[in-house]
Amino acid sequence: MAETEQTPIVGQVLRASTVGFVCGTRSQQIEHPAFGAFVRTRQDSAADLDVIGVIHAISIDDDPLVRQMILANNMTQATIRDQRENRLVPLEISVLNVGYIQGGRIYQTLPPRPPLSLDPVLLCDAPTVARFTARLDFLRLVLNASDVPTEQLLAAVLKFAAAARPDAERRAFLVEAGRLLAGLLSQDLPRLQHLLQLIRPA
Amino acid sequence: MTTRDPLFPETDSLDDWFPRGAHSTPAAPGAGQRLGVVVGGSLSRGLDIKLDPQATIEDLAVGRYVVVRGRSKRFFCMITDVLLDATNPAIRSDPPDLGDAFLRDVYSGTAAFGTVHVAPMLSIDEGSDEPKPVRTIPSHFTAVEIASAQDVDDVFGQEDATHFHVGAPLELEDTRVHLDLRRLVERSVGIFGKSGTGKSFLTRILLAGVIKNDAAVTLIFDMHNDYGWAVKTEDGPQAKGLKQLFGGRVVIFTLDDEATRRRGASYDHEVTIGYDEIEPEDLAMLKTTLDLSDAMIDAAYELHKVWGRGWIGQLINADAEALEALKAQLAASFVSVLALKRRVQRFERYGFLKPHAAEDSARRILEYIESRKNVVLEFGRYGNALDAYILVANYLTRRIHQMYVERVEKALGDTALEPPQLLITIEEAHKFLDPQIARQTIFGTIARELRKYNVTLLIVDQRPSGIDEEVMSQIGTRVTALLDNERDIAAVLTGVSGAGGLREVIARLDTRQQALIMGHAVPMPVVVKTRTYDTEFYASVSSASTQDAPKLSVTPSDPESRRLR
Ligand SMILES: Nc1ncnc2c1ncn2[C@@H]1O[C@H](COP(=O)(O)OP(=O)(O)OP(=O)(O)O)[C@@H](O)[C@H]1O
Ligand SMILES: [Mg+2]
Repeated sequence: MAETEQTPIVGQVLRASTVGFVCGTRSQQIEHPAFGAFVRTRQDSAADLDVIGVIHAISIDDDPLVRQMILANNMTQATIRDQRENRLVPLEISVLNVGYIQGGRIYQTLPPRPPLSLDPVLLCDAPTVARFTARLDFLRLVLNASDVPTEQLLAAVLKFAAAARPDAERRAFLVEAGRLLAGLLSQDLPRLQHLLQLIRPA
Repeated sequence: MTTRDPLFPETDSLDDWFPRGAHSTPAAPGAGQRLGVVVGGSLSRGLDIKLDPQATIEDLAVGRYVVVRGRSKRFFCMITDVLLDATNPAIRSDPPDLGDAFLRDVYSGTAAFGTVHVAPMLSIDEGSDEPKPVRTIPSHFTAVEIASAQDVDDVFGQEDATHFHVGAPLELEDTRVHLDLRRLVERSVGIFGKSGTGKSFLTRILLAGVIKNDAAVTLIFDMHNDYGWAVKTEDGPQAKGLKQLFGGRVVIFTLDDEATRRRGASYDHEVTIGYDEIEPEDLAMLKTTLDLSDAMIDAAYELHKVWGRGWIGQLINADAEALEALKAQLAASFVSVLALKRRVQRFERYGFLKPHAAEDSARRILEYIESRKNVVLEFGRYGNALDAYILVANYLTRRIHQMYVERVEKALGDTALEPPQLLITIEEAHKFLDPQIARQTIFGTIARELRKYNVTLLIVDQRPSGIDEEVMSQIGTRVTALLDNERDIAAVLTGVSGAGGLREVIARLDTRQQALIMGHAVPMPVVVKTRTYDTEFYASVSSASTQDAPKLSVTPSDPESRRLR
């Protein structure tokens, strides 16, 4: 797969539902994923269902060793690095599903099935993000998601989507997104105004 | 290997990677002339249309046409109001800062949007080209477009023997609105508007159409020398009069030969009226203008009885002795006689009034009319004397109408024997048709009896509220330039179905050369930018009348006329 080379692997699916999934990775790979970034799973061709989502949380759980080390008070740079690279608890990246690909089509709604454990999760590159965000029906999914910081997530997602476009198209894209939000949030003006402040181009 | 990955497609077409129908397709900006969608309304109140964000509300003047493309019909509607709306009224109390360009682009057309209110006027069924009155309305969310040139042409047709080009609809400068001349002259016509809005110019244009297409013969009581020859304009050079456009088909009569000659205009006849021909009925018409009481009018009838023809001359010239004699005869009404004498004394100043007229002007005019010649009666300096204007117009019209009635009745329904359709033009019409006198005067009679005797009126007025309501309701075609007085607007709209929205239209017309035309001669009300009365216009009306008019002002060899037609 030619794309895989250009697209960094974010991790592998740890647990999943149709609403979203969590993928895990080694903690030193934290520079790749970012809050609001677009990711996709890639299954083998037989399954024909790739899920697209946005990262809404990144967390690092503790493990018994970390607790001990903090109490032990004898941390060298080497032990810290060793703990980070070889620890047993992965970095957890939570993803909100916003669409899927099936039969060569993009759908901006929840996938019919969740991805499978250990499916690879890839970070979408700029052209992919631009293509996926040519339609903005998925904003509604983000807006209505529970247990996520909706406004911040939306703003981050839109910034990513804008950044995936050529400079000249960014403003127009954000305006279009803003107009859509104005329609969705017409009954909640303070929230709308807050969101628009977050996404407005500098 | 994946078979095909839409995120890395070979094609760039959006539809290839997004399933069709799963998304509402947003209106492509600039597609056609789409304006918005119908979101509510009723047949009687009109339709509400929510504007698409890309429609600029500032371009949507009242009076413009829009077309609603329903499933099986096109609905023609006129914009009657434009308003600003918001999905959430709370936005009014906390308006976003639209100085910020981003926020402005986001909010306009979404949380805050424009609505236009339109009045449905006509519908055309799919596959038919016959405009019909609207009896229903389009369903919810039907798309609305600015009317195209084709739409307007479908309603107003092409110029032909009975259709005359009067102007262009708003914002459709290359389209033409045609008036049905036959229907125009069939009923009375009213031309209204404030002073200086172009009433006289518009009237001249309509009359030129009537003359050119021979739709009727016209008799014009030309108060301010606006129609016959070398017309003054407010800005720039003189404009041509009808005589200059139609030569021998127009005959000029004058009341004031001196003034006519001074203007370098030619005239064909001078009108004189003998005192011996003025009847008490002619005075009754001047009731409001000369402030005559009922008693004075009664006195006039009594004098007529006592003195017979020439009574008014006698009254004016009556010396103390004659009055003394009269006092004995008419003791009861003598006070009124004296008052009347003082009032009619002013007639002495009118040069066209003579003790006895050499010829019968009314009969002379009628002869021309019967040979289908159009008559312009210039008032010269007497145009400024309203009582002179009313006296003469009434005097002549009463007699001509009388002769018309006789002719029509003698023809016994044989149209070949009937005199030609006659259109009588009067200015300051409310002075002839105010509610106090409209019932008794000849103009009120003509307006009310419709086309029974082949005579209709073209009334030009700047104060339509002064016109008798019943007369107003009989006016078939109303042409209205700007009016700003509420009562005048209401008067013009009396009896017009669906008039509600039109009042805004009338109050918002340009101050010049724009008019709302509604009624008998047009399939639906229309706001036109009136044709400009200029050389192009002259050429277009004169060249077509070559065969009838030998004395053309624009000869066929004139390069301009060839260019224009
Ligand atoms: N169709 C037109 N073509 C050319 N000029 C026009 C036209 N309509 C109006 N005008 C200009 O507007 C001026 C005023 O028009 P007009 O004399 O017809 O107004 P009006 O309504 O008859 O005014 P009033 O009530 O004072 O008689 C004209 O002198 C002319 O310059
Ligand atoms: Mg005038």
